[in-house]
Amino acid sequence: MINFLIVLFGVTMLYVAATSRIEAYVRMLVAQGLVLFLLVVADWQSFHLFNLLFLAVETLGFKAIIIPWFLRRVVRRNGVFRELEPYIPNFFSVVIASLIFAFGFLLAYGSLDFARDIKPLYFGVSVSTMLTGLLVITTRKMLVTHVAGYMMLENGIFLLSLSMAREMPLLVNLGVLLDIFLGIFLLGLFATKIKSTFDESKIDALTHLRD
Amino acid sequence: MLIAILILFPLVAGVLLLALKSKTANVATIYLYAALHLVISVWLWRQPSSLLPFFRVDDLNILFLLVLSVLYLGVAFYHGDFLKQSGLSPRWHTWYAICLLLFNCCMTGVILSTHLGLLWVFVEGTTLASAPFIYYEGNKAALEATWKYVFICSVGIALAFVGIILLSMSAGDTVSLFFDDLGANAGKLSPFWLRLAFPFILMGFGTKMGLAPVHAWLPDAHAESPAPISAVLSGTLLNTALLGILRVYRVMDLAGQSAQARILLVAMGFLSLFVCAVFVLKNRNYKRMLAYSSIENMGLIAIGAGLGGVGIFAAMLHMVAHSLGKASLFLTAGNILGHYGTKDVAGVRGLLRVDRATGWLWIIGFLALAAFPPFPAFLSEFLMAGAILDGGYAWMLVPFFLLLTVILFGMGHSVMQMAFGDPNPSVRSQRTPLVNYIPQVLFLAVLVAVGLAMPAPVYDLVQRAAVSLGGGR
Repeated sequence: MINFLIVLFGVTMLYVAATSRIEAYVRMLVAQGLVLFLLVVADWQSFHLFNLLFLAVETLGFKAIIIPWFLRRVVRRNGVFRELEPYIPNFFSVVIASLIFAFGFLLAYGSLDFARDIKPLYFGVSVSTMLTGLLVITTRKMLVTHVAGYMMLENGIFLLSLSMAREMPLLVNLGVLLDIFLGIFLLGLFATKIKSTFDESKIDALTHLRD
Repeated sequence: MLIAILILFPLVAGVLLLALKSKTANVATIYLYAALHLVISVWLWRQPSSLLPFFRVDDLNILFLLVLSVLYLGVAFYHGDFLKQSGLSPRWHTWYAICLLLFNCCMTGVILSTHLGLLWVFVEGTTLASAPFIYYEGNKAALEATWKYVFICSVGIALAFVGIILLSMSAGDTVSLFFDDLGANAGKLSPFWLRLAFPFILMGFGTKMGLAPVHAWLPDAHAESPAPISAVLSGTLLNTALLGILRVYRVMDLAGQSAQARILLVAMGFLSLFVCAVFVLKNRNYKRMLAYSSIENMGLIAIGAGLGGVGIFAAMLHMVAHSLGKASLFLTAGNILGHYGTKDVAGVRGLLRVDRATGWLWIIGFLALAAFPPFPAFLSEFLMAGAILDGGYAWMLVPFFLLLTVILFGMGHSVMQMAFGDPNPSVRSQRTPLVNYIPQVLFLAVLVAVGLAMPAPVYDLVQRAAVSLGGGR
């Protein structure tokens, strides 16, 4: 069951690499939030009750509901539904994302010899998710997509820290704490200022400061 | 106890200021915290102490703490007039003061942390506390700079967190993330995960530190924020990120895995020099020029740290030289902006005639940064070249000096253009209050004293910091 969830998590990232519809990114963020929630619930023995509640609220409430809801509102209000002219075509994004996944699993299984009880599936998918998140940030132009890519990067990190939950519960909470902090900050900046000042919320609009 | 005052004072004062909303109280609190910070830092230098297991003064961080104190004192002075001129409403005036206090509190927290996770939280805090300053001007360019700053630094900090997770995988469940614990049990760390963790930590904190190729936010943020904040960003914020890297670098060293870390540090250092050298040749904006020079100097520090031995001593000394020299230049740039109202090099001519003192501070500050004797940057770059030779990399001296010469030429060209010549007819000389000169004079005087005489306590301070990193003379 857990393995199935993690694979599902990986598939959402491949879909993100393939599509250019921003609402699809938002939907995938919801899916990732749900998967992370289920993973936390499935691993309930690793956490104290209070900690478990905290993580459940964070994954379900914050990652799966608030942030996607907010992003969708921004998308609707701006009336920009598609990622136009990404720096590289979607086809190549998928190829690169697939290569990233291959690399992630090679790394995970290759490192089994050195690792003390590492979970290769967790590790492979989370590393691939982080790299794909970076890929999304660097190859797409819309600011909404950048925020979505950043959230995916953080989801990947969250997955990685979950694999360490039993040894280092502190890490999971640290990551969560700043997830919330950062998400609010990024979105606050985004919603209040960026939209009203830039005609289009494209990264292209942010190229006046240059040398 | 003293450390608790350093960390808690800004939080308590912030709440009080929010209730009072008085401009006088804001400025008084900024001054008071600056004075307290310096007194407590000097006290801690003489008598190191700790707070819980989480904060402690040791041989390495006391140097960073003292630089922060001295710099913040000067910047607080400068704020006296700056805030008066700014015309902020009492509400924003108060928020400005609170952010300044919190920013300093977070930097102090980074410096004093003994735990990697805690250090990371404080680094994140510095981003949040300083972002409003970059949006200070409130225009499109400021918005762009703020967005880049927050976004790029957040990605960086996320990568650093990956590094921390990998480091804790390396530590397993027996070793905690306290630096002492990591150092003492370095032999037990799994080398594979350790070697994987360092690049993430270097890229992550390196983003904050402004090392190429992850420096993209730095020129924009430094150019858009108000002068005294640019001084703090460049003079102390970059150092705190450096401290995070150095802490982990030391663990790598103790674990006998530093070879890869050294190569990465030196490579990123040279790349930073290169980025700066390319920029200064077509420099148009003097604040951006200073920002790129910060990238250069962080690069030099990375090279010194990567070389080890004398190089680490040179890196620590260079950090002091850069912090004070660059802060003095940024504050002077604030004076220039006040006179001319433009950040373009082309719009500034005849500075010496418009305002003699500012003109000379601009030139002398440049000399301090360009490593002319008697300033300590001369000594540190000289020692760095020595460390390169010691390491047996004589060929590296060619790009090293070539890039430094190009940067010296590029910056010198702009600085001299601005200082000499006839002032533009439209410029009206404004009266600049004395407090806008004092901090720069103070910083430069400290530098000259260190460069000429190198008082024994200062030497001891730098040497002990270097020794605690496994280097030194």
